[in-house]
Amino acid sequence: MKILLVEDDRRASDYLAKGLRELGHAVEQTFDGEAGLAAAQNGGFDALILDRMLPRLDGLEIVKRLRSAGNSVPILILSALDEVDERVQGLRAGGDDYLAKPYHLEELAARLDALARRQTDTGPVGRLKVADLELDARARKVSRAGRKIDLTAREFQLLEFLMRHAGQVVTRTMILEGVWDYHFDPKTNVIDVHISRLRQAVDKGHDVQLLHTVRGSGYTLTDDP
Amino acid sequence: MRGWTFWRSSIARVALIYGLLLAASMTAVLGGVYLVTSRLLAVDGDEIISIEAQGITEDFREKDLDTFVTEIVDRAEDPWVRGGVYEMRGPRGEFLAGNVVVLPELHPAPGGWVEFDVAVSHGDANASRRIRGRILTLAGGYRVLVGHDVEDRHAFREVMLRSVAWAVLVTALFGALGGWWLARRISRTANAITASAGRIAAGALGERLPVSGSGDEIDALVGRFNELLDRVDGLTTTMRAVLDSTAHDLRGHLNRIRGAAQVARHAAHDPADAQAADLVISEIDRLSETLHGLLRIALAESGTAPLEKVDLSSVATDLVDFYQPVAAADQLQPLIEPGLAVRGHRQLLAQALSNLLDNALKYGGEGPITVRVVRDGQTALIEVTDRGVGIPPDERELATQRFRRLRGASGLPGSGLGLSLVAAVARLHHSTLRLEDAEPGLRVVLVLPLEEP
Repeated sequence: MKILLVEDDRRASDYLAKGLRELGHAVEQTFDGEAGLAAAQNGGFDALILDRMLPRLDGLEIVKRLRSAGNSVPILILSALDEVDERVQGLRAGGDDYLAKPYHLEELAARLDALARRQTDTGPVGRLKVADLELDARARKVSRAGRKIDLTAREFQLLEFLMRHAGQVVTRTMILEGVWDYHFDPKTNVIDVHISRLRQAVDKGHDVQLLHTVRGSGYTLTDDP
Repeated sequence: MRGWTFWRSSIARVALIYGLLLAASMTAVLGGVYLVTSRLLAVDGDEIISIEAQGITEDFREKDLDTFVTEIVDRAEDPWVRGGVYEMRGPRGEFLAGNVVVLPELHPAPGGWVEFDVAVSHGDANASRRIRGRILTLAGGYRVLVGHDVEDRHAFREVMLRSVAWAVLVTALFGALGGWWLARRISRTANAITASAGRIAAGALGERLPVSGSGDEIDALVGRFNELLDRVDGLTTTMRAVLDSTAHDLRGHLNRIRGAAQVARHAAHDPADAQAADLVISEIDRLSETLHGLLRIALAESGTAPLEKVDLSSVATDLVDFYQPVAAADQLQPLIEPGLAVRGHRQLLAQALSNLLDNALKYGGEGPITVRVVRDGQTALIEVTDRGVGIPPDERELATQRFRRLRGASGLPGSGLGLSLVAAVARLHHSTLRLEDAEPGLRVVLVLPLEEP
């Protein structure tokens, strides 16, 4: 993926760029708002990582200008301002996701991946399929190898979320935000327990395991780990 | 209830008090004038009658009966004595002389004083005149009525009495109207100030109290109050700015350290180096978690978090649902009344409840945990009760302070910020946090004002 990184903190930018390059991405760095906007307008990027507070031109302002010019490149806003209300502002301005500093590189990579895929998705799909696991979002039905699986409403939502991000790593915070709309971290490992319950329902009695734990990052749903 | 509020409102009270006070003072002044005047007139008239009565009594003593009777007849018919009324009766009550025939029907007051009406013809019209007089009882059972026409005096008194009554009534009415107008003006200003102050207290720090522009004392007070608010607003903004920039700065540093540690972790060949890098990373994560917790508390305490209508019942139901898998079967016992709405911050409320459930699961042992969200009058009651060891009374105060971890909790992971966040969120919602003994166990109670649907 070709990524434009706009971050005025040079050292932070370098660490992040190094990490992203190690994950196989091409990264172009700029260090202030105006240069960032100019680079973004030239185009050719799969995703943008924007710091919220930048010299010369604020990160939110860049998002607004790009969006009003019809540019729909996926944008992840990074910020040291981490409050729900800040997040809402960032997303309202047209950002696709919002991540607070200090972030885990794995978290950022997972979110970036999700953003880039969302771009190629052709809108909401009624039917999702991963290997022999099928989910019908409209009829609210799940089956594996033709056998019906009974899920609670939340389990269904969780599975739908994982299937929409099939093949990608989703982190615990992504699940908390995406499925429960909780923008805080419960102290206990609640998500792990929800996942293992879902795994019981989805994988038990099947040879191929679909729901995998990615150590240190989160989970992924795939038949090709 | 409605009537009670009406009388409690200062408008009605001030109007009533103004009306009554003015009416009372008017009654006192005019009543005094009336009493003095009518008294003076009465004394004047009665003196004339008394002098005449004395003359008649002396005449009766000095003259023989026939001369006396003739004299009475003369007096009664004398055209020069205007308004004089006379009547004489014999010992058996027989009429002897006079210009009226009323004596037998009269019931004299002590001293022989009487007052009665006499019909007189004025041309065609028959009018009634008020007469005041005295009945003299003379030797031998003779009785003489000496009276005088006091109709003018009587009429004057009546007119005056009526005027006084009207004056009092009109004054009372004007007083009440004036009081009502004045009180309504003050009360309107007061209500506007109260409403504004309420919104300001709820976090709208940019709002100012309304100034009427009349430049009166209330305006001066409001002006001063607004200056005060400017200062509070300024200080709050500065505090927030300092907090934000400090947090921003700290986060930036933490982020860089974490990045460096991660780079070092990747480059490490020696397992000892890798372990050291991992330790740095996990410590930074803990540090940033604490920072995050503190900032959340600061946000809640600043009172600037935007509040909106929140379905408390569904927030609580979702959370219980969320925690259900980590609890033992039937350990979480929700009792949540549906449809309870409060004015609040959804994320902060959810986080506060989540902290309470976290605590109950962590310290509550294996016993049941009840989550009660019910209506209690105009408030919503949130109760989370566990059957654990509870918190001793002397430690309950400490439990809500930052970084305070109770003696029993030293072995368990935690930041020491959980309950202080709950307390801050409670304050943001104009509520208080109560820790109670559930015998055994801990009951945490939050009371939030309900928002009408």
